[in-house]
Amino acid sequence: MSNTDQATLAATQSQRPPFYRDATVVKWLAQVFTLLLVVFALFFLTTQALENLNRQGIEIKYDFLSIGLGSDLREGIDTDPDTAGRALWAGAVNTLRIAAGGIVAATILGVLIGVGRLSSNWIVSRMCSVYIETIRNIPLLVQIVLIWALVATLPDVELDQGPINGLLHLSNKGMSVPRLHIDDGFYQWLIFIGAGWLVGTFVKRRRERRHDATGRDTYPVLSFLAVLAAFGAVGWVAHPMFRWVGAIFDFIGDGFSSLTPVVVQVVLSLAALAAAAWWIRRFLARLRTPAGLMKLTDDDKFRIIFAGVGALAVIAFMLVGWPGLASWIINSGTDLLGVIADKFGDGRTGQPLDIKRPDVEQLGNFPNPGPAGLNLTQGGAAVFFGVVLYTASFIAEIVRGGILAVPKGQTEAAQAVGLRRVTMLRRVILPQAFRVILPPLGNQYLNLTKNTSLAIAVGYSDFVQVGQIVYNQTGKTLEVISLWMLFYLACSLTISVVVNFFNIRMKIVER
Amino acid sequence: MSVSDATTALTEELAARDDMIVCEGVNKWFGDFQALDGITAIIKEREVVVVLGPSGSGKSTWIRCINRLEAHQEGRIVVDGVELTNDLRNIEKIRSEVGMVFQQFNLFPHLTVEDNVTLAPIWVRKKPKGEAEELARSLLERVGIPEQAEKYPGQLSGGQQQRVAIARALAMEPRIMLFDEPTSVIKEVLDVMKELALSGMTMMVVTHEMGFAREVADRVIFMEDGQIVETGTPEHFFTDPREERTKLFLSQIL
Ligand SMILES: Nc1ncnc2c1ncn2[C@@H]1O[C@H](COP(=O)(O)OP(=O)(O)OP(=O)(O)O)[C@@H](O)[C@H]1O
Ligand SMILES: [Mg+2]
Repeated sequence: MSNTDQATLAATQSQRPPFYRDATVVKWLAQVFTLLLVVFALFFLTTQALENLNRQGIEIKYDFLSIGLGSDLREGIDTDPDTAGRALWAGAVNTLRIAAGGIVAATILGVLIGVGRLSSNWIVSRMCSVYIETIRNIPLLVQIVLIWALVATLPDVELDQGPINGLLHLSNKGMSVPRLHIDDGFYQWLIFIGAGWLVGTFVKRRRERRHDATGRDTYPVLSFLAVLAAFGAVGWVAHPMFRWVGAIFDFIGDGFSSLTPVVVQVVLSLAALAAAAWWIRRFLARLRTPAGLMKLTDDDKFRIIFAGVGALAVIAFMLVGWPGLASWIINSGTDLLGVIADKFGDGRTGQPLDIKRPDVEQLGNFPNPGPAGLNLTQGGAAVFFGVVLYTASFIAEIVRGGILAVPKGQTEAAQAVGLRRVTMLRRVILPQAFRVILPPLGNQYLNLTKNTSLAIAVGYSDFVQVGQIVYNQTGKTLEVISLWMLFYLACSLTISVVVNFFNIRMKIVER
Repeated sequence: MSVSDATTALTEELAARDDMIVCEGVNKWFGDFQALDGITAIIKEREVVVVLGPSGSGKSTWIRCINRLEAHQEGRIVVDGVELTNDLRNIEKIRSEVGMVFQQFNLFPHLTVEDNVTLAPIWVRKKPKGEAEELARSLLERVGIPEQAEKYPGQLSGGQQQRVAIARALAMEPRIMLFDEPTSVIKEVLDVMKELALSGMTMMVVTHEMGFAREVADRVIFMEDGQIVETGTPEHFFTDPREERTKLFLSQIL
């Protein structure tokens, strides 16, 4: 630093206000103070809670997850789970199935109805209004129970009734449709799909560049899909040629299992540091202008320090907080590689995918839709259609609002420069509507996911219902509740991250 | 040469040119309110016409009818030999030949200035991207804001936005430009418009800018209550109006 710089610096410093009025200092103190307060409050609450529980002789322990469970589940990946943990896992999968399928279905239905309500066709728009006003004004629980009751009025299943191997099987037991089934050759076929994806992306880029260069229509997305389909078709017959891939994973797995925990710890520590360094570098690069580095604000400095401290905290946690982490990673990594190797195994040369159609089978005294098709039991159908219909009515309003939020002048300007309707929607209206739609849409996805927990009312084996079975049998109420909270938190955070990612990409630069 | 002689000479010269915009008995209602009442006018190639009139007289409605942002209900509108009907192909053809600058600019806020300008050339004219960008740069140069290409409309001043709107309209290389009340125009924008007029563009300008009308207009059309009240050269119009209503209007704004 030159002399004059120091002189001006000294001059400014001499005019500094007392520290309690200095904006920079106050801001930093407030941040550190808040952090300490939160840490202290958490610490206080947990120790206090643990102490109270200890005094009453209650222990917080999760070993009940590995003991047996005396009940069957109504449906899911495992209807007769060995352990409570397995049962909860099956319940979680059921919840995720309903939530994921529900988000897709509710979005499609909601967009259709929302656009329909804007339609110039009087009947369509009226019908959409009636749908929205009816559905969103009745409590979801009532709707779920209503659908459940409606399904119950369907005819009974009888063993000789059929349709055996049909396409749709509807009864008071629920609904069953054909299911796409992952067969032996699937993972080898997946290699073809992956390659097709890469080649397709390459072709798509090239076609986009050709469009930019010549202005001709080159249909990049269509060519991408065509390439993907071609690879899929070839792979359908050619996939056994990848039988040897399993051996590679076996080999990697062997190498992985011979690692020592120290090596893993060193690698992870370096990775944490590298991630922090990479983040800081990228952060600084963003602030760099042709004229040199911009002046760092206090916030910037805080973030940089936070990244560094965060990396150190991760390392400390790994070494001190959970010393067994490294061997856990080695063990489960080896297991995972073993599973993958098995998926590519030598014997697996069958079809990649197979379709299984609904069947009827005898279960105890009751005929049931067999396990072959994709089954939605009475409860499952009630929850699924309940959350889909309900959420769709809100999504419809959000979509309508988003489209209306784009000023009329935008449509006029697009028309005035001669854009066709489709191009106008794609390039002008939708990008702007989307940025209004997205945040409330994310909220609806969160609501839908959380609302699936109403399954308990109709006995669908979702995560909450299974959890209830588990704590009724083990008495581990607090543990189960903590798992519930963690599970829904994880779901919600995942959805938020995805929505925010798109949100940031959509943001409009304002002044 | 007297004023009326000049007018006659001009009229003769204009008569020799091609018709660009022909309106014949155009009527338009909003509900039971008649916004355009028997509009009949012919605008020739390379002519600069300024439309004046009090607020609510139907000036915007008229020029919006010319590129079919509004549909007229009676009468004929023919633009460059193509009649405006419900035929989508005609509407498309006319829109790609008529550039329009809106009073509120209506720029696309989610696109950069450059993308605002290249959007139509790329997707309507099917121009290669590089060529469209080149065109955009030269147009932004022409309207005097080449350095703003990477910014978003929200980051520009009002005058700069107005110039982007002009560049966007010019990017379709239109034969006709419609300006809906670029009121409170800054000098730079007026200069751009004058330069356009001198370059032989057919222009219809709704404005309150009397200076522009005097200096650049070949003809002034005065409207009131959806009707054309008086038409004439600027000299004639500003110095010797025939109609009482025109005199009243001029006495109020001058
Ligand atoms: N979409 C519409 N629906 C109903 N009435 C309309 C509509 N658009 C315009 N009008 C009416 O038509 C008349 C003419 O409007 P127009 O916008 O053409 O006036 P203008 O001459 O451009 O006025 P200004 O100088 O204030 O812009 C006004 O009385 C207006 O209220
Ligand atoms: Mg107007």
